[in-house]
Amino acid sequence: MTTAEVAAVPRQQAGDRYALWLRTVDHKDVGILYLLTGVAFFVIGGLEALVLRLQLAAPRQGVVDPHLYDQLFTMHGTTMVFLVMVPLLIGFANYLVPLMIGASDVAFPRLNALSFWLTLFGGLLLYFSFVAGGAPDAGWFSYAPLAERAGSATSGVDYYILGLGVAGAGTIIGAINLLVTIALLRCPGMTFGRLPLFVWMVLVTSVLILGAYPAFSAALVMLFLDRHLGAHFFDGAGGDPLLWQHVFWFFGHPEVYIMALPAFGIISEVVPVFSGKRIFGYRFMAGSAVAIAFLSFSVWAHHMFAVGLSTAENIFFAVSSMLIAVPTGVKIFNWLATMWGGRIRFTVAMLFAVGFIAMFLIGGLTGVTLAVVPIDWQVTDSYYVVAHLHYVLFGGTMFALFAGAYYWWPKMTGRFLSERLGRAHFWGTFIGFNLTFLPMHWLGVQGMPRRVYTYPAGVGWEGSNLAATIGALVLGLATLVFLFNAARSLRGAPSAPADPWDAWTLEWATTSPPPTHNFEAAPAVRSARPLWDRKHPDLPDR
Amino acid sequence: MRPSAEAIADLALVVGAIALGIFLLVTGVLLATMWRYRLRPGAPEPRQIAGDLRLEIGWTVAPLLALAAVFVLMLGTMREIGASLPIAADTDRIPLRVTVVAHQFWWEYRFDGGAVAANELHIPVGVPVELDLVAADVIHDFWVPALAGKSDIVPGKTNHLRLFARQPGTYEGACAEFCGVQHAWMRLVVFAEPEPEFDRWLAVQGAARQAPAGEAARGEQVFLRNVCVSCHALRGTGAAGNGAAPDLTHVGGRTTIGTGVLRNDAAAMRAWLADPQRYKPGSAMPLVRLDPGDLDALVAYMESLH
Amino acid sequence: MIAHRAGTPSFFGEKHVLAMCVFIASESIFFLSVIAIYLAYRQATLGTARANLDVTRTFLFSLLLFSSSATMALAARSPGPRGRRWLLVTAGLGAVFLGGQVSEYVRLLAGGIRPSSDLFGTTFFTLTGLHGVHVLVGLVAIVAVAAVSWLRGDAVRPTAWESVSLYWHFVDAVWVVVFTTVYLGTFV
Ligand code: HEA
Ligand code: HEA
Ligand code: HEC
Ligand code: CUA
Ligand SMILES: [Cu+2]
Repeated sequence: MTTAEVAAVPRQQAGDRYALWLRTVDHKDVGILYLLTGVAFFVIGGLEALVLRLQLAAPRQGVVDPHLYDQLFTMHGTTMVFLVMVPLLIGFANYLVPLMIGASDVAFPRLNALSFWLTLFGGLLLYFSFVAGGAPDAGWFSYAPLAERAGSATSGVDYYILGLGVAGAGTIIGAINLLVTIALLRCPGMTFGRLPLFVWMVLVTSVLILGAYPAFSAALVMLFLDRHLGAHFFDGAGGDPLLWQHVFWFFGHPEVYIMALPAFGIISEVVPVFSGKRIFGYRFMAGSAVAIAFLSFSVWAHHMFAVGLSTAENIFFAVSSMLIAVPTGVKIFNWLATMWGGRIRFTVAMLFAVGFIAMFLIGGLTGVTLAVVPIDWQVTDSYYVVAHLHYVLFGGTMFALFAGAYYWWPKMTGRFLSERLGRAHFWGTFIGFNLTFLPMHWLGVQGMPRRVYTYPAGVGWEGSNLAATIGALVLGLATLVFLFNAARSLRGAPSAPADPWDAWTLEWATTSPPPTHNFEAAPAVRSARPLWDRKHPDLPDR
Repeated sequence: MRPSAEAIADLALVVGAIALGIFLLVTGVLLATMWRYRLRPGAPEPRQIAGDLRLEIGWTVAPLLALAAVFVLMLGTMREIGASLPIAADTDRIPLRVTVVAHQFWWEYRFDGGAVAANELHIPVGVPVELDLVAADVIHDFWVPALAGKSDIVPGKTNHLRLFARQPGTYEGACAEFCGVQHAWMRLVVFAEPEPEFDRWLAVQGAARQAPAGEAARGEQVFLRNVCVSCHALRGTGAAGNGAAPDLTHVGGRTTIGTGVLRNDAAAMRAWLADPQRYKPGSAMPLVRLDPGDLDALVAYMESLH
Repeated sequence: MIAHRAGTPSFFGEKHVLAMCVFIASESIFFLSVIAIYLAYRQATLGTARANLDVTRTFLFSLLLFSSSATMALAARSPGPRGRRWLLVTAGLGAVFLGGQVSEYVRLLAGGIRPSSDLFGTTFFTLTGLHGVHVLVGLVAIVAVAAVSWLRGDAVRPTAWESVSLYWHFVDAVWVVVFTTVYLGTFV
């Protein structure tokens, strides 16, 4: 059952229509369910951020009380990481991977649906905490001993453990599924050397998920035992609070690349198509992702430079963190080289892709400054880190997701988004984003710690905070434009052809939206750009 | 010798300049590409180029070189700061040692020789000060940006940080690790002053309370009669406290109340004692009901404790 | 499109088997994390461990678990009535092993050692308990395969046998590591 077929079901059967969504195991439908879930949680997490910003707009405000503020920033971070970024990226992966490799579905369709429902259920469990006595309030990384019973008395952290445990199980199952799909279901001719780069990124991401998430599950189990059986893993009385940090960041750092690599994949699809040129340095693009994945397991303690590790440890983790800049730079340079000499069509998708390159660059460079141990001693746990993480996550991943949304929307819905509204969305986002997060660098350097519900007047933080709040409102309005654009498009009649962008990968070889089994006939694949070969028989890719 | 903050600032300036250079270079190329290769009528079909090994090598090696430079600079700064605290005998002065105990949500300072202070730290100018950082409950972090970088304060572990002030002055800072509901009002302030002045301050902190007179003397009775003594120590009165609340022996001499939330004067002290939870909800200091006369006396007493 | 791959003969070319292998890899990370924590606290727990663990007895029970890997291999080699009998033998051995674990727990609990008593209790019960849960899951899976194959003959694909068998070997291998770390570790 695809969306098109779902939409075709007569109105009086609306009930059935919802039932179909509940029962569906088609990878495209599951993908869309993931995407819808991610968008819904983005609105929730964004509204939480707006409350944070309103509270911080001026010193000593009382928009929310301190304890609510703590719950809101914890839920904001947790939501954005686990219920927005991951579902959106897995949603795209679910929808696109089988299409891009010429398969009719993922390897285990039912298991795929299960992954989604686990993720959604985990998210609901997390949010149930609000009515069950209080949301988690120890930050998105729940440092012990604050997250122990003695430090956090409500059941919020328990819901964090259960919700993320369940959602995490869904993510692990999803990664297994994607990995097996990519390994075994590629159509004839689709060798690893011809996989679209998005698929490559999903493959590497799956490996990262499988290597990182289980460590997090283990940490959650131990924290749960601490809280409920009186175990002493991280309690600071016998147990070592720093062990929690080690295990958490052993997971947490790969997690940030889990949120980044699929975004790189999206950019590697969008940039070539709208530049009219094949990707520059295909093998280096795939290889650098593998390098990033390897390195990302050896950098975790760069989140812990201030905890008092030995000098040797600090230096080791600083070096491996800096090294990640090299393969990431390779990606940036190859995107530039792809654009160079091209014929660039500035569609909204391309605007977001270019915005991604510039904004991610800033986030990456501030990341390298954070990897320099003494600099981190100054700015860790300050708004400088908040700025860094939003530049990579919002300026990076979120921009890429928007690029992907504009690019694949016609494929998924059979309709177009308005480019005019799209431009308004882009500029609103671009300006709002920089207005919100650029001043935060300065705030951090000036000494404003993160996670404070308010701050004293007269220390020079007022202007930047106000600017950030105004920027957040602009971001919210821009997001409204996007949602409006989407709703308007869905009400219109289908109009998108199979290949509206003159693109090259297999998903464009079938109708928009694709039929249940994706392809009528097995597509022929002789290079990484099968549709290019078809359109340019005189000049096929090697 | 100079404050480690200065060493870090120098490093950050250089690293920041390198980062800015890379940013300008890359965005410059990006913008130029966007302009030069934008879609124009009649533009030819672009040449399909698969890649270029020399370029790939080039943009792998160039960043490596930049990072190598950053790395060397980093080592230099780490050495200067003396990453391997506690300090060896590399200084011309015997450092002053202070034990910092971080509590939810206030600071305790213990000096060799028995002086105890809370929330506000004084240090002598030109003398290295070695902090031994210990946590009473959860993880905190000591951060006075103008003097030094941060150090987390982790339960079950003693961390070290060296402060050094070149100029007399008031240096503000804050607890930088989220430690619970009043993390925002776990502010820090360090007064750097010439050594004689500091010595006087330290002598006062080591002494018992100034004997109160008049209204303040009545206030002392109120203090001793009430639940205050179950938490707060006040040397000279027999109130030993329970170690989980600031020592009040010289509370009147501080510039702030409640670890930064209020400026210290009689009106603010009255407001604080009347309802601490209004200003610092979630702190361990409870609302103690007192009749207005007692409250006035108590305020007078607190303010007299210089 | 799927069809062209379905007959791929190689071991990892079968999707259930590959999925199980990948799953096992991720489970290994899970156990490695817990074992790493166990080792991090080893110095603090060694004394209690030496004083309270009954290595010989647990070793005997471990032999049963180890030998169940062999019977599992025999079962997977001949999916069908013969294999079914081997499955049941495997399940039996696993169950006895679990019984041994339970009796060990009862003894320790009676001696006042529990997850909250000290770091030894915390790490010991967590590590062995998590392994125990995996054994239990394996037992359920084995019995399920045996039952379905008994009720519906050939309805169970050979790959299901293969997958369950892989999982069981994994649980077994984890015990080799856990037993070495926790029990044999007391001699070092
Ligand atoms: C998408 C997510 C993402 C990505 C991709 C990154 C990328 C990087 N991050 Fe970031 N990081 C986060 C998400 C991410 N981070 C989050 C969420 C946190 C905060 C968690 C929390 O505390 O809540 C964090 C925190 C964080 C810290 C800890 C700060 C602290 O708490 O004290 C550090 C320290 O080293 C760090 C470093 C880096 C580095 C070196 C990179 C590198 O990978 C960047 C590499 C990229 C570039 C450098 C740009 C392109 C390269 C070139 C153009 C080549 C030339 C460049 C040079 C020679 C420098 N990050
Ligand atoms: C992908 C990840 C992601 C994204 C997209 C965002 C998006 C935003 N974040 Fe987030 N943030 C994190 C990840 C993310 N954040 C993380 C991991 C932390 C750390 C948490 C921790 O410390 O534990 C954090 C922390 C964090 C803080 C620090 C809190 C603190 O330390 O005290 C702040 C403060 O300003 C902030 C602000 C914002 C804002 C304004 C947005 C905006 O971009 C949001 C824009 C979206 C909307 C505004 C909603 C959609 C719009 C509508 C529904 C329309 C209605 C709007 C109007 C009527 C105007 N974030
Ligand atoms: C349950 C313990 C407790 C009791 C009882 C208590 N206090 Fe406190 N008090 C605290 C704590 C903890 C703080 C630190 C609050 C903070 O800054 O977070 C504090 C802070 C103060 C301060 C500000 C000190 C400073 O340096 O900022 C004053 C003054 C004070 N208390 C006076 C009193 C008086 C007078 C009473 C009795 C009427 C009293 N307290 C009763 C725990 C207590
Ligand atoms: Cu103490 Cu934050
Ligand atoms: Cu990291």
